[in-house]
Amino acid sequence: MAWNRLTPAGRALAVLLPVLAIGGGLTTVLLATFGGAIAATIGANLPIVRFLVAAVVTFLISVPVAFLLIYMEMKIIALMNLRIGPDRIGPAGAVMSVVHGLKVLMKEDYTPPSVDVPVFTLAPVVVYLASFMTLLVIPFAPELTSMGFELGLLYFFAIGGLSVVGLMMAGWSSFNKYSLLGGIRAAAQAISYEIPLTLSVVGIVILTGTLSLPKIVAAQDGSFLDWFIFRQPLAAIIFFIAITAEANRTPFDNAEADQEIVAGFATEYSGMRFGFFFFAEYVNVFVVSALFSAVFLGGSNPPIHVDLHPQILIDLSALGIGLPLIAGIAPVLGTLLFAAPLWFASTRVKGWQALIGGFLIFGGVSTAAIGLWAFVMLPPVASLIWFLMKTFALVFTFVWMRGTLPRARIDQLMGFAWKWLLPASLLNIFATAFAVLIAGR
Amino acid sequence: MTQQMRPSLDDPRVAIPADSTWYEPAPIPQTERQAEFLTLREGEMFVNMGPQHPSTHGVLRVIIKVNGEKVVDLDPVLGYLHRGVEKLCENADYHQAICYTDPLEYVASLFCEAAPVAAFEKLMDVDVPRRAQYIRVLTMELNRIASHTLFQGWMALDLGGITPILWAFIERDEIVDMLAALTGQKLLYNYYRIGGVNGDLNHEFMSRLGTWMSRAAAQIDSNLALINENEIFVRRTRGLGVLDAKTALKMGVTGPNLRASGVPYDLRRDRPYLVYPELEFDVPTRDEGDSLARYLVRMDEIKQSIRIIDQVLHEMPDGPVMAKLPRLLRPRPGRAFGAVEGPRGVYGTYAISDGTDQPFRMRIHDPSFVHLQLVGPLTKGNLIADTMAVMASLDPVMGGVDK
Amino acid sequence: MDRRLAALLTEKFGERLLTPVRQRYDESEIRVALANATDTLRTLHDDPALRFEMLIDLCGVDTGEEMQVVYHLSSSTSGDWLRVIVPGLDRTAPRIASATFMWPGAEWMEREAYDMFGIIFEGNRDLRRIYMPDDYRSFPLRKDFYLADDASRSPAAGVRNMERAGTPADATAATVLRKSPGV
Repeated sequence: MAWNRLTPAGRALAVLLPVLAIGGGLTTVLLATFGGAIAATIGANLPIVRFLVAAVVTFLISVPVAFLLIYMEMKIIALMNLRIGPDRIGPAGAVMSVVHGLKVLMKEDYTPPSVDVPVFTLAPVVVYLASFMTLLVIPFAPELTSMGFELGLLYFFAIGGLSVVGLMMAGWSSFNKYSLLGGIRAAAQAISYEIPLTLSVVGIVILTGTLSLPKIVAAQDGSFLDWFIFRQPLAAIIFFIAITAEANRTPFDNAEADQEIVAGFATEYSGMRFGFFFFAEYVNVFVVSALFSAVFLGGSNPPIHVDLHPQILIDLSALGIGLPLIAGIAPVLGTLLFAAPLWFASTRVKGWQALIGGFLIFGGVSTAAIGLWAFVMLPPVASLIWFLMKTFALVFTFVWMRGTLPRARIDQLMGFAWKWLLPASLLNIFATAFAVLIAGR
Repeated sequence: MTQQMRPSLDDPRVAIPADSTWYEPAPIPQTERQAEFLTLREGEMFVNMGPQHPSTHGVLRVIIKVNGEKVVDLDPVLGYLHRGVEKLCENADYHQAICYTDPLEYVASLFCEAAPVAAFEKLMDVDVPRRAQYIRVLTMELNRIASHTLFQGWMALDLGGITPILWAFIERDEIVDMLAALTGQKLLYNYYRIGGVNGDLNHEFMSRLGTWMSRAAAQIDSNLALINENEIFVRRTRGLGVLDAKTALKMGVTGPNLRASGVPYDLRRDRPYLVYPELEFDVPTRDEGDSLARYLVRMDEIKQSIRIIDQVLHEMPDGPVMAKLPRLLRPRPGRAFGAVEGPRGVYGTYAISDGTDQPFRMRIHDPSFVHLQLVGPLTKGNLIADTMAVMASLDPVMGGVDK
Repeated sequence: MDRRLAALLTEKFGERLLTPVRQRYDESEIRVALANATDTLRTLHDDPALRFEMLIDLCGVDTGEEMQVVYHLSSSTSGDWLRVIVPGLDRTAPRIASATFMWPGAEWMEREAYDMFGIIFEGNRDLRRIYMPDDYRSFPLRKDFYLADDASRSPAAGVRNMERAGTPADATAATVLRKSPGV
């Protein structure tokens, strides 16, 4: 039989090719028949389609964002601790957090006896859902907002507060006293800090007259002196402290204080259910940093507007057949160009090593060149890069705080929220309202 | 012949009851105090910490009775690391007994050796050569610094700061490596012998020590700057677990914990041994008696230890490091109590000889054992998080507590 | 060696001392009878001339014939050290008054002595096992407790004898491994 002599890859192809051929034919026929109807349905329900696409994309980017943040935290805290940190998997250990993700997927997903199974199973989902749903309203760039609706800020606080429900569910259903204490701590903390968090941005809402995040960002257009961190400094401080508590980060990570209550609400969780808590925490950090940079740091606005008037217009279509030729030859030439100095620099560098080095350098240089071109030529890219730079500067601050500060005690934490932050945020509202009353917006 | 099927936990058919009222049976109180502890009033519950818990410094189990976050009462359960060292020593000869005491307190094991060696030397009326005495002081002070730097890291870690312990480990690692170059072991040195020490100082030890001494003070200051002025750290430890001098004396507290309560009691000065009377050092004390004071007293002691090491290096004489002794030691019948001032308090060994080559009774007194009693009284009425802060500031090591 | 301390102790306690004050190395040692133990400790603690206010150590000793309780006291003011030996506790039912009335810190050391020797300290509020599990029946540091190495020498010639389920009353002279009545 010919089948027996095929390699495994050949067998796979032998099965796949007919399936693909038949499937492709069917799809073509179906599209030709019903294409108009499908297009019409999509065109009629564009908002729904837009929402679905936005939700899927947001969900898909939330996991890599968590991976990136986990890697950042591992590496930065390692530097602060005078350690090396992950260095085995990927360049400088960059794939380590992905491996962490795979690890939690492969672990046994254990449900201890005598837990409240439905609640126990739902809790991580609720927590993760809450943090990734808040990503929907983040204005990455003026054109890159998943859902730029009018009540964005309110939606953010409403959905962000939902994660506490998940933590309480986890704490209550785990049948563990550490979990219970952790869940209750999380709830107490979130309720206390939700109030100054929300009140601190009221000043900005008074100034801008809108709750829509893209409009708040647009209101900070101009130089960096227009950013709300300079116009509302007290609000910025309160907001920063409150989001630290909201994201359960050191020094306010009492809900999962491992020296006191082991892992808090996550004590009984294992496998991917624990992974959801873990990822949700990092997505949360990203989200609150993004919110801070959108509300206080001008979001996607550059610090100073420099009008470059770029005139570099390359009409690629004018090249004709030359385009594929250049696309094919440029990498080879570039690789050789960068390999030559390496090869001539030292007799100990072998030819293949020089070629690999040249290829890597060419890759880096060309990526940088294309990135620079995009930054100059495409406004959304520039906006996105500004936004991400600000966000990651804040993420770094959170990681830095984790590496530096001990944990505050729960009573100090609550006292701080009610005795200092709440009056300060009220004071901020009255001062802003008074100023607006006197001087106008 | 059919083999009887025995139920096993690996057998998927064996069901574990998934009942939400699946509690352990309540223990039967044996004493008045335990009965009082086991009675739960309205709103109280037990939280069991340990023996596997991130911050109990070894395998300590603490049953905490809490009302919400507030600690109502607390009962430490010991014995998870009990090895019966006292009994083992009774069945070993005098040299072997020293090896058994070594792993008692693995953080500062030279002190655990020094105490029985001191007791045995008294029993045998041995005069230790002066160079050996200086070497003992030198190595003990190094070990004290290693222990205190580790304490600093632990304290910060129990309060939630993760960086100081890794910074503190730089110093501890260097000292441990240094002692390993001298003794051959990193943790359990087994260096002191009855009548001297195992070997003279070697070149690697001395060169490492010289390099380390040239930067030690600055390095330790930078480690302290990492945490000492931290507002959160100070607010969490100041006024927490206050131990006044009178209670401290009644509870048998010794060492830095006693000196933090304002009692300047230090065996190195009040009951001098080895060459301590010839050395110049201060006994740092604080009057507050709280967790912060206990922390700061230890940090001040590090500086005094560096001062002592400096003097020892300048004044150390040449000569033998081991007294002439018979191979088989049979001391006269008698009793002796050897005590040294360690990083946690008085390490004592009470040895009774009946004229044979084995100690008739060997009692090991460990300061951590006494200090652990204080965790209950000092944390009552505070929060769960404070239990960790108080326990860290008392600095118990479970290897010594459980013997 | 502090002659002054020896004279002071002789003067204070006189008749109550079972043997003269013994001073060897740098330690002083007195022996008092079981009945006088509490009073002696109280005097040592309270007397303004003595002021032994620190209990450094408390331990039990099994000599094979009798039980003893040994206190090591220290004075934080004068730096003197004193060993107080209370000999003559009945080996089958050792009982002594607790020292916790004066040194609350003695509680755990007394629990340890109870755990290891079965000495009952009357007045200790929390006298239960401290190292060994609650359902453990024997007292490991007594001289009739066999280690695995001694098992062949034990009367039952087996390891089972290591953890004898019994009370101190079960111990007979024949089962005691090593006796030193003189110490």
